[in-house]
Amino acid sequence: MNTLEVKNITKTFKLSKKQRKLEKTDDKHKIAVNDLSFIAYPGEIFGLLGPNGAGKTTCLRAISTLIKPDEGDVLVGGSSVVNESFDVRGKIGFLTSELKLEDHFTPNYLFAYFGRLHGIEKDVIEERRQSLFSRFGIDKFQEVKVGDLSTGMKQKTSIAISLVHDPEFVIFDEPTNGLDVLTARSVTDYLLDLRNQGKTVILSTHILSVVEKLCDRVGIIINGRMKVCDKLDTVLAENNEEDLEELFFKLIQDEELRGEL
Amino acid sequence: MKNIFTIFKKEFYRVMSDKRLIFTTILLPGLAIFVMYSAMGGAINNSSDDMDSHKIIVYTENMPNEFRLYINQEIPENPEFHDVADSDMDTVVALLKEGDIDLIILFDEDFMTVLEDYESLNYTLPNVDVYFNPGERYSENSIGVFYGYLNSFFHNEATNPDRYGSAYDIATFNTNNNGLPFVVQYENKGIGQGLSMLLPMLIIMFLFSGAMSIGPDSIAGEKERGTIATLLVTPVKRSEIAIGKVMSLSLISLMSAISSFIGIILSLPKLLGGQLPTDVPVYSIYSINDYLMLLSIIFVTVLVIVGLISVISAYAKTIKEASTLILPFYFLSIMIGISTMFSGEGNTDLYVYLIPIYSSVNMIISILSFEVIGIHYLLTIVSSLVYVSIFIYVLNRLFQSETIMFSK
Ligand SMILES: Nc1ncnc2c1ncn2[C@@H]1O[C@H](COP(=O)(O)OP(=O)(O)O)[C@@H](O)[C@H]1O
Ligand SMILES: [Mg+2]
Repeated sequence: MNTLEVKNITKTFKLSKKQRKLEKTDDKHKIAVNDLSFIAYPGEIFGLLGPNGAGKTTCLRAISTLIKPDEGDVLVGGSSVVNESFDVRGKIGFLTSELKLEDHFTPNYLFAYFGRLHGIEKDVIEERRQSLFSRFGIDKFQEVKVGDLSTGMKQKTSIAISLVHDPEFVIFDEPTNGLDVLTARSVTDYLLDLRNQGKTVILSTHILSVVEKLCDRVGIIINGRMKVCDKLDTVLAENNEEDLEELFFKLIQDEELRGEL
Repeated sequence: MKNIFTIFKKEFYRVMSDKRLIFTTILLPGLAIFVMYSAMGGAINNSSDDMDSHKIIVYTENMPNEFRLYINQEIPENPEFHDVADSDMDTVVALLKEGDIDLIILFDEDFMTVLEDYESLNYTLPNVDVYFNPGERYSENSIGVFYGYLNSFFHNEATNPDRYGSAYDIATFNTNNNGLPFVVQYENKGIGQGLSMLLPMLIIMFLFSGAMSIGPDSIAGEKERGTIATLLVTPVKRSEIAIGKVMSLSLISLMSAISSFIGIILSLPKLLGGQLPTDVPVYSIYSINDYLMLLSIIFVTVLVIVGLISVISAYAKTIKEASTLILPFYFLSIMIGISTMFSGEGNTDLYVYLIPIYSSVNMIISILSFEVIGIHYLLTIVSSLVYVSIFIYVLNRLFQSETIMFSK
């Protein structure tokens, strides 16, 4: 079954002097993700909601094998990110603002390049390129160097390329960040399409409306810990809240109080 | 394997589709060497114009008459010939030291007979001793002129043309640059030494700068710009990424090396033009073997330099950091090049040929001055390849490390 199981992962970073200054802390270590667990199911969008610095990106990086969790494991369709990272990378499409495309190359070139690295046949690459590029309106810019594309077009090219191998698991970190409304809309529409195709979709965001509009399940993460995690309506019902915003701020307040004690 | 090739192709295309990079990494090295060496050659030739008016004074012994006639015919301003036997040798050497005379040329007594007797069983090459004073411009110039004529006369004019397959493979002079006395036995060493002075340093410099202009960008730059992470989430082994990049870097650096090499070759005629008679092909002072050895040394040196630069670039977080870290190594290798500039010959200590780059520089000098010792050559090649393997191993470890590759 194409579920994605995050099992008690913890990730601690050593902080350099510079980082300690930036974070205004004396601690030499930062627990970015603390004993975090959740399950995402195929045909659903799982939203990881949390304020900046909550640990969302760190969690998604651990899922995509860019970093190894110190403890715990993630099973992506049964493959462990700790022991079978190679298999995991073949199954996921990962998008985050830190994954950049090289300015010098064109969308066409890069799409074919990453397709080959995923071991996909030439004609399949071509077929997917046409459908994805026309879907995102990249086709008019397919021979323009990435460096000359607008931010939105770059982001859309990144999305197309992250999907070159038609992955069963789609993991997008803040996919609409910094995009204009129109572009953001085309991205969220596509995420819904992917869900309807039966893909397992995980996205992270700090924007409440994104979760409300898109997600079937939500996990609210604060300070590296999962505070609540379930179907959207269940989460609200269990916490006796009318809307997500109220719940979100209540959780953050609780955390701040705990921090002060 | 397929992934290595895909990455290699992309990295290679990256440079080849960038006019600026093609110019700085591939065309510039050859062009710069050509211009520099041609200018040097021009300077030498200019001073030899003024040499023409100087009457060369030569003391000889047993000079074959045929050669005297040949010289008189070739040099319109006849050199002044004296017989050593008329004074004693010490006096003549003292005159040379003072710069009062330009050359002493001592032929074997039966030089011509021996020369023609090449088919006999116990044949040994006839010997000619040449003394000159490298501290004196006229003397130094005369030696060049006379080598050329010695070479061309005894190889072409006075000998059966079928004797040597390719006559110039054998025609070489021996000099040493510490002044006196100075023995010549058909060797071209003087010319080779001139070349070997600057060349190793230039070759190392250009190999380094070729790799330096793309290595940091290709590895540290990709980390800095966040493009390597895109690659790291594909099902490609990190070792494949590392090897693909190193291969492309090596090929491009090799192209820049070959470009320097072509620059050198093209400037040889200008550089040596004044020293050789017109009918002696300039390129023939070195044999095919010499050229092949030179290329193979350049090849392993490229690999060592690319390996070093790749490791540093993988360790560094930014292009700037990488370039800064590479700089000391760059200067160190230039210093190695400079330190050997005036030695005139390859180091004879075995351990030298185990030190990366230093070994290459000494080998290049040995090749250019016709003094290759097989074991030195072998050690240079093998030790360089060992260093390359170590670099690739370290590079692979760095690529595996999450903090190194992805520290944002
Ligand atoms: N490589 C790293 N080194 C040190 N600290 C890090 C590193 N990556 C993330 N952090 C810290 O971990 C915490 C969580 O970061 P992140 O996962 O990026 O949060 P989010 O994506 O939710 O905004 C932050 O305090 C951040 O500063
Ligand atoms: Mg983030």
